[in-house]
Amino acid sequence: MTHESVFGLPISMVGPSDAIPFADMNDAALVAAAVAGERDAFDVIVERHRRAVYQVCYRFVNNHEDASDLAQDAFVRAWRGLKNFKGQAALSTWLYRIAVNVCLNRVSSRAARTATQAIESVDQFEDVRIEGAQHAMIREERAAVVRTAIAALPKKQRATLIMRTYHDMSHQQIADVLGSSVGAVKANFFHALANLKKSLGTKP
Amino acid sequence: MTHLTPDELIDALEGVRHQAHLAECERCRRELDDLAAVLADLQQASVPEPSPLFWPHFSARVRTAMDRDAPPAGTWPSWLRWQVLLPLGAAAMIILGVMFSVANQDRAERESAAAALDAPAALDAAAPSDSWVILADLVGEMDLDTATAAGVVAPGVAEQAVLQLTADEQQELTRLLKAELTRAKS
Repeated sequence: MTHESVFGLPISMVGPSDAIPFADMNDAALVAAAVAGERDAFDVIVERHRRAVYQVCYRFVNNHEDASDLAQDAFVRAWRGLKNFKGQAALSTWLYRIAVNVCLNRVSSRAARTATQAIESVDQFEDVRIEGAQHAMIREERAAVVRTAIAALPKKQRATLIMRTYHDMSHQQIADVLGSSVGAVKANFFHALANLKKSLGTKP
Repeated sequence: MTHLTPDELIDALEGVRHQAHLAECERCRRELDDLAAVLADLQQASVPEPSPLFWPHFSARVRTAMDRDAPPAGTWPSWLRWQVLLPLGAAAMIILGVMFSVANQDRAERESAAAALDAPAALDAAAPSDSWVILADLVGEMDLDTATAAGVVAPGVAEQAVLQLTADEQQELTRLLKAELTRAKS
C-alpha cells in the first residue's frame, strides 16, 4: 500500500521509526500510521476510544454482553474503513457513527422486550425512600430504569437521543449518520423525549 | 395563538430561539419544562462501568477479530482490481468458448460419421444458421482421409489418448466397448 501523504504528513513521518511513541500521538497521526499499516497505532485508537464506543452500544442494548460484541464489531469495521476516514470530523465522531450504524443493523428485539418488562418497575421506584447511604443505590436504580426506557425507544429515536444527549453530536451530524434531514432529527429527538416523559414520568 | 412545533421546541430546549414566544405562552413553557426535566433525568443516567479487567480483554478481542478479518484495504484483496478482473474474466470467457466449441465439434464429428454423406441434408433439416450452412458446404463431401489430410483431424490422436489411460481405465474402456458391441449385435 503506498500513500505519499496522510493528513498532509509525509508517510515517512508516520512510521514506527519516529521518536514519538504511538501513545503520545494525536488521533490524526495515529490514523495516518494505522493506514500505513501500523497495527499498534490502531491498538492505541482502540484503547483511547473503547469506553465511549462501548457506552454508545450499551445505551442501545442495555446489557454488557451485547454492548461488548457490538463495540468490537464497530472497531473491526473502523479498521476496515480507516482509509476512508478523511479527518473532516473528529475521530470520535466517526467512530460513534460506525457504532450507531452497527447497533441500528444488529439490535435485536430481545433488548426491547427486556426493556418493556423493566419499565413496569418504575412505580416501585417511586415508593423508595431516599435515606443516607441508600442514596447512591437509589440513583443507580433510577439510572437503570432510564437506560431501560431508552433501550425501549424506536431505533431512530434511540439513536438520535443517544447521539444528541450523550455524545454532543450536532443535529447535522446526526442527520448525516441516519441519512435523514435536520428537521427529521429534531422531530425524532422531540418524540424520544416525549415518549420517555410518558414511560418515566417527569420525576426529577 | 399558534404554539411551537416539535422542531421549535427542540430549538427552544437548546436555547436557540423562541424566547419571546415562551415568555407569553404558558402551554409551550410548560411543555418545554417537561422536556427539560426528562433531559435532566437522562443526563444523570450513566452507563455502568465494566470491570477493569474487561478493557484489556476487549482490546485483545478486537485485535483477534482484526486478524481474522480482511486487511484495511477492504473486503477485496488490494490486487483484485478491475484491471486484473477484466482480463481474467475475458480469458475465462475465451476458455469457456473454446471448450464449448470443441465439445460441439466432437459431437458434430460423431454425428457426421454416423450420417456420412447425408450431412448437408441433416444440417438443412435442423434449420441451420448461416455459419452451419457454409460449414456444411465446405465439408459435406469431405471423407475422413480428406479431413485428415487437411489437418482438421490429427492422425493418431485416438490411439495416443488410449495409450495415456491407466491400466484400470483401459480395462473399463474395453468393458464398455464390449458391452456396446454386444448391444449392437443384439
